[in-house]
Amino acid sequence: MSLNIYGQNLDSRLLIGSALYPSPQVMKQAILASGSQVVTLSLKRQNPAEKAGQQIWSYLQEVITEVNGHLLPNTAGCRSAKEAVTLAKMSREIFKTDWLKLEVIGDDYNLQPDPIELLHAAEQLINDGFKVLPYCTDDLVLCQRLYDLGCEVIMPWASPIGTGKGLMNPYNLETIRLRLPDATLILDAGIGKPSDACLAMEMGYDGVLLNSAVALADNPVLMAKAFGQALQAGEQGYVAGIMQQRQTAHPSTPTLDTPFWHQNN
Amino acid sequence: MNIHINGKAYPLTNAIHISVSSALTLYFIEPQQSTFAVALNGDFVGKTDYDTTMVKNGDSLDVLQPIQGG
Repeated sequence: MSLNIYGQNLDSRLLIGSALYPSPQVMKQAILASGSQVVTLSLKRQNPAEKAGQQIWSYLQEVITEVNGHLLPNTAGCRSAKEAVTLAKMSREIFKTDWLKLEVIGDDYNLQPDPIELLHAAEQLINDGFKVLPYCTDDLVLCQRLYDLGCEVIMPWASPIGTGKGLMNPYNLETIRLRLPDATLILDAGIGKPSDACLAMEMGYDGVLLNSAVALADNPVLMAKAFGQALQAGEQGYVAGIMQQRQTAHPSTPTLDTPFWHQNN
Repeated sequence: MNIHINGKAYPLTNAIHISVSSALTLYFIEPQQSTFAVALNGDFVGKTDYDTTMVKNGDSLDVLQPIQGG
């Protein structure tokens, strides 16, 4: 069982961010421990004298080579389709990939994606040959529109970025899975615990993208490993077929020949 | 004339425009040893166009480099 991203099959269903770790060394160890083969990164203005960007880039290249993985540049910080398209083109030139985590933020308070600008950007980028992985809200119609545009991968949020609140609206997420059976669905943002990731996989999601839950753990390397295992458990549970819930109790132990039964009659 | 690179003003005397390549030498000590991409007034400029794309008075260049991201 593998994760399919635009025809590329990956062994791990976990996509992991490269930010917020206590150190670059811990970042590398955590990514390796997670088993992930897709690492997100970004572009920003930087002070060239510090050469920080050059160092991080070198470090991430080492990690990607070691895990035989893929870079997934994002458009974090963009607030319009125009900004996102420009940043996407800059990313493609540097990172030599047409994969793109498309982010267009519409609200500064909860960093909620702007659905209208997101659709505009996705359409332009797909027409320009990008393989777009849009980060979006858990709105069924928005996800449907993105899929209809040609986004083979859709990434609805679990909850706002960095909150760790987990799956705010499981009903919406289950409905998106049900209505878009052929889309690759990756739950992105707001994951806090390994059980959140497991729950997404039990719903039939194809993968999970997270960053803060690992990077901000007391022990990021151990937490990365825990998430990798949680995804496997959830996926296997989904494939195995989860039993239907029932309204009344049913004894697990056979009732035939129950001892002491009717002993007073 | 004045141009801006990553929000910082760079006054240039005796020039009405300069190429993106020339502008980058104001910003980097060794541009060829850096990993970056460029946008001029919000539009992407590919590396092959640095010599032929002109930066004029009031223009803004964004020079972006890789960084960690989620």
